[in-house]
Amino acid sequence: MSLFKIDDLSIDGAVERFSLDLNASDTVVLLGEAGCGKGAVMRLLAGFPADVTNGTFQAGDGEARPAGRPLVATAYLPSAVAAPLSPHVSALSQLIRIVSRKLALPKSDAREAFERVLSRLEGAPPLSDLEPIARMLSRETLAWGLFTCAFAQAPKLLLADHALTGLAPTQARLLVRALLAEQRRQGFAILYAAMNTDVAGWLGAKVMVMRHGKVVEEGPIAALETNQTHAYSQTFFKAMSANVQAAPRAANRGQPVIQAYDVQTGRETKAGDGLTFELRRGASLALLGEEGSGRRALVRVLLGLEQPRSGRVVLDAVDVGILTEKMLLRLRRRVAVIAGADDVLDPRMTLWDTVSEPLRAHLKLPRDLVATYRDAALKRVGLASVPGDRAVATLSAFDKRRLQVARAIVSAPLLAVIDEPLRGLDAFAQSVMRDLLKNFRAQEGPAFLVVTSDFAVAQALCEDAMIVKGGKVIERGAIADLVKAPKEPQTKALIDASLGRLPESTKRV
Amino acid sequence: MVRFGLVETGRYAAALLGALLLAGLVQAAGAEGGFVHAAIVRLIALAHFDFGNSAMTGAPAWPEVLKRLPATFSLLGGGAAIALVLGLPLGLILSWGRALRAGAPLIQIVAAAPVFCAGLALLFLAHRANWDVSAKTGLGFWPSVFGGDVGGVARALTAFGLPALVVGAAGAATIQLAIRRAAKDAVREPYRETLRWMGLGAFEIDRRYIAPRVLAGLFANLGEVALSLFAATAVAEWVFGWPGAATLFIHSVALGDWDVAALVLLVFATLALTADFLGHMLARAMGDA
Amino acid sequence: MSLVFTAPPRRMGLRAILRVVGFAGLGAILVVVGLSNVLAYAPADAQNVGRALSPPSQVFPFGTDLFGRDVLSEVLHALAVTVGHATIAVVVTIVTGGILGFLAVRFPMRTGAVLRWIASVLGALPPLFLAILIIGLTSRGFAPEAAGLAAAPHAFLRAFDRARALARSRHAEFARATGIPVTTLMRRDLVYEIRDNFLSMAARSLAAVTITLATLSFFGFGASPPRRDLGLMIAAARESYFDAWWTAAFPALVLMLFILCARLAACLDEGEQP
Repeated sequence: MSLFKIDDLSIDGAVERFSLDLNASDTVVLLGEAGCGKGAVMRLLAGFPADVTNGTFQAGDGEARPAGRPLVATAYLPSAVAAPLSPHVSALSQLIRIVSRKLALPKSDAREAFERVLSRLEGAPPLSDLEPIARMLSRETLAWGLFTCAFAQAPKLLLADHALTGLAPTQARLLVRALLAEQRRQGFAILYAAMNTDVAGWLGAKVMVMRHGKVVEEGPIAALETNQTHAYSQTFFKAMSANVQAAPRAANRGQPVIQAYDVQTGRETKAGDGLTFELRRGASLALLGEEGSGRRALVRVLLGLEQPRSGRVVLDAVDVGILTEKMLLRLRRRVAVIAGADDVLDPRMTLWDTVSEPLRAHLKLPRDLVATYRDAALKRVGLASVPGDRAVATLSAFDKRRLQVARAIVSAPLLAVIDEPLRGLDAFAQSVMRDLLKNFRAQEGPAFLVVTSDFAVAQALCEDAMIVKGGKVIERGAIADLVKAPKEPQTKALIDASLGRLPESTKRV
Repeated sequence: MVRFGLVETGRYAAALLGALLLAGLVQAAGAEGGFVHAAIVRLIALAHFDFGNSAMTGAPAWPEVLKRLPATFSLLGGGAAIALVLGLPLGLILSWGRALRAGAPLIQIVAAAPVFCAGLALLFLAHRANWDVSAKTGLGFWPSVFGGDVGGVARALTAFGLPALVVGAAGAATIQLAIRRAAKDAVREPYRETLRWMGLGAFEIDRRYIAPRVLAGLFANLGEVALSLFAATAVAEWVFGWPGAATLFIHSVALGDWDVAALVLLVFATLALTADFLGHMLARAMGDA
Repeated sequence: MSLVFTAPPRRMGLRAILRVVGFAGLGAILVVVGLSNVLAYAPADAQNVGRALSPPSQVFPFGTDLFGRDVLSEVLHALAVTVGHATIAVVVTIVTGGILGFLAVRFPMRTGAVLRWIASVLGALPPLFLAILIIGLTSRGFAPEAAGLAAAPHAFLRAFDRARALARSRHAEFARATGIPVTTLMRRDLVYEIRDNFLSMAARSLAAVTITLATLSFFGFGASPPRRDLGLMIAAARESYFDAWWTAAFPALVLMLFILCARLAACLDEGEQP
């Protein structure tokens, strides 16, 4: 039975001739980059006025009315990454207030309804975990609260706006399971706005690919995965790991770049938990784990930014523990860092200054030579057309990410530390970044140390991996072997979270 | 919150200690003998709550300053009340973009006027209107208020009101700015929109989540508000001839009475630091409600 | 739509225009000061140029004062003194407050933290009190330097906190992780600070010290005759301005204009203390 129908919707400057026919329990994913129009559709359906120039809404068998207020009960589910709640007030109190407002219930009844839903969601945290002020909660806990709030509203239509973006893969999988379970229980339709195809695969949804306010292609995910007709759709599906080759083993491996001997970082570790490993030039290693597992603490110790609790680190044949800070700085000249965050580059610097700083600071090269290397690096990452005297602050997240790669290229590092390089990027940008990093590794040949919680990213960039939990390594080996036969539950959970995106995985929910 | 409180208390204590040290050094400036020796002697004396003696009268400095504080606090209290009455609504109104665009030039021009110019302008108006602006009359304002003497209040209104207005206007400028800045930060927070999409009303969001942030912003700037009030009080005392602590300070410096000058400085510094400390604590408590 | 709070309009374009207006105004004032001896009808402190306390007229556009001095000429000369003293004070503030504050973050052995503590204690006093104290300990001739030193604690705190935020920023950490020397980072921060904030810092200091200098002179701690500044002119007019408003109004208006130009040049918000 048709739940809700949108016919020929146009919103001034945002959406053109959008049509959608949703049945109860349907799941539709609006797929596209930022600014494609999916946000405008979501906001209109959430009840926000917009400059609607054309189109009608129809609820069930009712009359078609001019598009404006939604005609069915909706619940809006935002991304936990987008800071949807006031950070200074208890998350639980805000969520209960929303339920109370939407269902016109007293707060005590709304709290009961919220608690009831939360208690039946598998993997959800206890209610007390939602009591603290919102900024003290992890993204995943907040996401559970947001999902529960949406379910408790008993909607007919759930509007999920990038609701799973930026979450740890294992938690994201649990949330997807909870979402589907609630959909079966309550029978609501789901309209999901996404920048990547992963979610569509998890939800088994129908996909509508949007660009510049128009739907360019649509169809079931199973069909679109293997056969896209529109060139734009192809870029999205190309980014799916099923089409991505695993990183080839490096033919030659040079001298050891990092050697760790019985290194312990966290207080949770005990004697015997020390890490011993070696990373050679040209080789690659992924540190896989959830947020808070201790991967970054390990990297900081390996680079000499922090002292280990015990053990010894040798970086480029020099014992890091005996060096002064000044000597460590000199040693770290051969280290490049590429991070999936927008604030690691100085926003005041220009593109040119950002890329040429390692050359000027470390090598004292003449200006024209610096300019040559700089321009070559910018060209390789596709930023040659951007004016070089533009400030970093004016660049998009994708451009900043590429700029980091250009800076890494000119520094000709022995070791490249790559921290969640694809975080926050849409599918197209992720595809480009992946290629750039692989090209960087192939051409410059540094050792790659990749920090990620995504097995697909690890497989695309590295040959070997160590699974980190509680500050210690619980499993290690070649990625291909780990994927085939994971021993630890944590490893299995991380692989499951990348379900549908690894060449070996064929399972769908 | 506990950790924040401990850190802030530590900072406050350190600042108070610094103020005490400053007072000791100033007192040592006027003492005979070597400066270092005099400074140590004065600091030890201060630690025993011995604030020295007035070089002019020979009497202990503390009662001299204490005698003058009521006049200063009287002006400060009136000024603070006017600052709140003027500054709070002004800050809220000017948080509205159109109002700000309309009112900005006028506020910018008024803010460019030094406090003593504003005081002289009011004195001129009072002279033309034949109002009594003597300090003696003005000092009777608060006793009349607390004593329920309506006639006394009416008589003291202009004599008290004009200098208090000078102080209040300076404080109001700082208050409205603190509110505007806090409002500007708060309204741009992403949750303001997201909560609306999730089903809360705009007024409800502003009342429950934005207004406390704005108030917290005001409290966070309490130290600055206090400083602007103190500076304006000093000028108002001088312009309107009030026998307050600020006037005592100016006379003490002119006559080299360093014990008294140092004590006045200590009082003002303590008040400003206390206002700053309390403001930060309140802001934190409100901000994380 | 909220009835109470709306996002204020993005005013970057307007602020930039006002900034230019402010600097243009300061430039014009500098020109006037440079030509004050030419523009003024009479030399400084020339008495009995006209009838005492005569109102503004064609001959004396700003009227005359109690001693028959041309108020316009006196205002021009006093403006030159005010601008001169303010310039000295601004240099003192920038060196002892702004630059020292910015560099102090990287001083060894927590020296920066100690300096910040001292600045925060001194900053708890109104700058006027601090200036009076310094003059009392030195002399009236030290008034410009005293005004500069009195404004220095606040300038120090602003610069120090800004530098500390930069030193602790993620991009600074990123640079350290890739071996960029501390001196390079310091140089980078200083260059950008000067490029982005120097003029604003100077204009802001100018507004602050001008108010302090004028108030000091009004209290009798600043400039002394015959080299009168605007504050002293206004103080001298206290005896006569009830009946001859022009003796105080014009110096006050010119003083306000100078401060307003400095405020606009510094992009100070409406009601912000400099």
